[in-house]
Amino acid sequence: MSPLIEIRDLRIRFHGDDGRITHAVDSVDLSVANGATLGLVGESGCGKSVTSLAIMGLLPKQTTEVTGAIRFDGFDLLKAADQTLRDLRGNRLAMIFQEPMTSLNPSFTIGDQIIETILRHRGGSRKSARERAIDLLRRVHIPSPERRIDEYPHKLSGGMRQRVMIAMALACDPQLLIADEPTTALDVTLQAQILELMRELKAASGAAIILITHDLGVVAEVCDEVAVMYAGEIVERAPVDELFSAPQHPYTVGLLGSIPRLDQRAEQLATIEGMVPNMAQPPAGCRFAARCPFVLEACTRAPPPLVDVSPGHVSRCIRAPLEILVS
Amino acid sequence: MALLEVNGLVKHFVVERSLFGRARAHVKAVDGVSFSLDAGKTLALVGESGCGKSTVSRLVLRLIEPDAGTVRFGSRDLLSLDADALRKFRREAQIIFQDPYASLNPRMTVAQILTEPLALHDLVPPAQRRERVAEILRLVGLEPRLARRYPHEFSGGQRQRIAIARALAVEPKLIICDEPVSALDVSIRSQILNLLRELQDRLGLAYIFVSHDLAVVKHIADRVAVMNLGGIVEEADADELFAQPRHPYSRALLSAIPLPQPHAKRAKVVLQGEIPSALDPPSGCRFHTRCPFVIDRCRTEAPALVTDDAGHATACHRVSELPPADTILPAAAGFSPALAKLVAAFSRKTEGANPAGVGIQSARPTTT
Repeated sequence: MSPLIEIRDLRIRFHGDDGRITHAVDSVDLSVANGATLGLVGESGCGKSVTSLAIMGLLPKQTTEVTGAIRFDGFDLLKAADQTLRDLRGNRLAMIFQEPMTSLNPSFTIGDQIIETILRHRGGSRKSARERAIDLLRRVHIPSPERRIDEYPHKLSGGMRQRVMIAMALACDPQLLIADEPTTALDVTLQAQILELMRELKAASGAAIILITHDLGVVAEVCDEVAVMYAGEIVERAPVDELFSAPQHPYTVGLLGSIPRLDQRAEQLATIEGMVPNMAQPPAGCRFAARCPFVLEACTRAPPPLVDVSPGHVSRCIRAPLEILVS
Repeated sequence: MALLEVNGLVKHFVVERSLFGRARAHVKAVDGVSFSLDAGKTLALVGESGCGKSTVSRLVLRLIEPDAGTVRFGSRDLLSLDADALRKFRREAQIIFQDPYASLNPRMTVAQILTEPLALHDLVPPAQRRERVAEILRLVGLEPRLARRYPHEFSGGQRQRIAIARALAVEPKLIICDEPVSALDVSIRSQILNLLRELQDRLGLAYIFVSHDLAVVKHIADRVAVMNLGGIVEEADADELFAQPRHPYSRALLSAIPLPQPHAKRAKVVLQGEIPSALDPPSGCRFHTRCPFVIDRCRTEAPALVTDDAGHATACHRVSELPPADTILPAAAGFSPALAKLVAAFSRKTEGANPAGVGIQSARPTTT
């Protein structure tokens, strides 16, 4: 089956005012099949959000240079005309942002905002759009949606607003849903509700999801496949079970070792020493080399390629498979 | 004897006044909270946004004045201290805030930030202050030469180290850590948690650790108090609470944490509904609107916090009738054997390397 979305050799450069060029994303290859959920994991500044903004065509054109290809259902999103992108966004491509407080317009009711999306892409009468909006609010479990639809965003709690955002994203039954840290701003009990809702909706609609998060627990709960990003590159990509049981990149090992877990108590958590490299002058070799405990001299000389470790599991590390190092 | 003893603490904030200045609506942020803390131990206060955990931490330091209750620190009654005595007390109790981007003065160098408490409490003669600043910086894993820099030149993790250094400067007995790692990336988070534990072992510090993240709390706490809407609903030793959570709210919190373990086998308690507002808290038990075990009595009668012989306190009418918590607890699976070896190798290799975070990044902060 051909993937729904396929990203080939995506590179994103930011041109700063001072002439400095930041390499935000480098040679990223990704694909997501219909109905699958891909987790995009990494720490602040690794390029995960920028990648998603590139898919949606939301990066500022004046200061950003995007190369490569993003193929979505026969279109190349990077070459598509603005009009085509506008027809796709909110319709077949939808996105949920982290901050439900700032991503809703405070001066319109939530109903207006959902109805606008439906009318823009589906047309029809305002009355039928309103009915659909109420139905969507019901699907995301907002109590008494007939009444809530006429409320302004400030009347709703954080968890409710995030539900409204999800309802809006689902308004036109998108084929691809990008969720950028959808639960980070929420309390754990609300996070559990939203994650459950996302699972439910995925099962019902069959949409593909790209979930961007820094929380490996969230990834383990909802994703089928995971891509780990570090300093603008994908350093490892694997089916979710394999990533958590046998990671093949030292950065992934460090990340997994550094999270406090409920299912065991470690005396000392693993730490990843040092700093993320300055992406205005990325290092010549492996970008993780300066912080890697398994580093060899060869690592610093040339950038390591992504190598297959097992079917569906790739790692950007010349020392993979890592098991050899500890046996 | 306990280092800190808090009894019946109450704080209501006025949110609305009538034309004549009479209070019309209150947020009952803290409503009768009691606990005690021994020297060198860590008590965690956990709960969701608005449960009053941060307000408690500020009341303990008298950064805000309580409406009722007592706070005893050693032999002193904090609420009767005058300004002078209060300043002396603050030498012994310090606080670290969540956001290291907001808690450090951007116009002061690190040296100035760390010298201020030394001068204020006149702890070190002026001539030796520079040496002392260097010493404190080394203690938190930063190089002394960084003292001349300004906060914006540091990353989030390094700033949190500076905030910790500032708290340590006066050699306190108690440090209140208010969500100290919530704003940090995962790999940085573990560095700060390790540092806090190391400092506790070395200096015999007591911590009040305020957090919403139970996995972090499990890692660091000796005793845990779970708060909901201004009151403690359960308090127990950390091992006990994580092995046998009793209150339905504690169980829901525990089960809501996503485990980094795909296909983990455990039953989930997903609470329905919203967190009620502290402006208008529910009658009776304040958890009854979301509780899966609610009965009529819960709606009218507030349960008292009852401590059993083992020191495990629970505020729930149905505590003896609840099903065992086994099904919601995560299986003690932890790392796969392969991962355990890799993590061990990873940690072994990085030990003895530079102390964490000593380098300095370029002036550009790495935030998205």
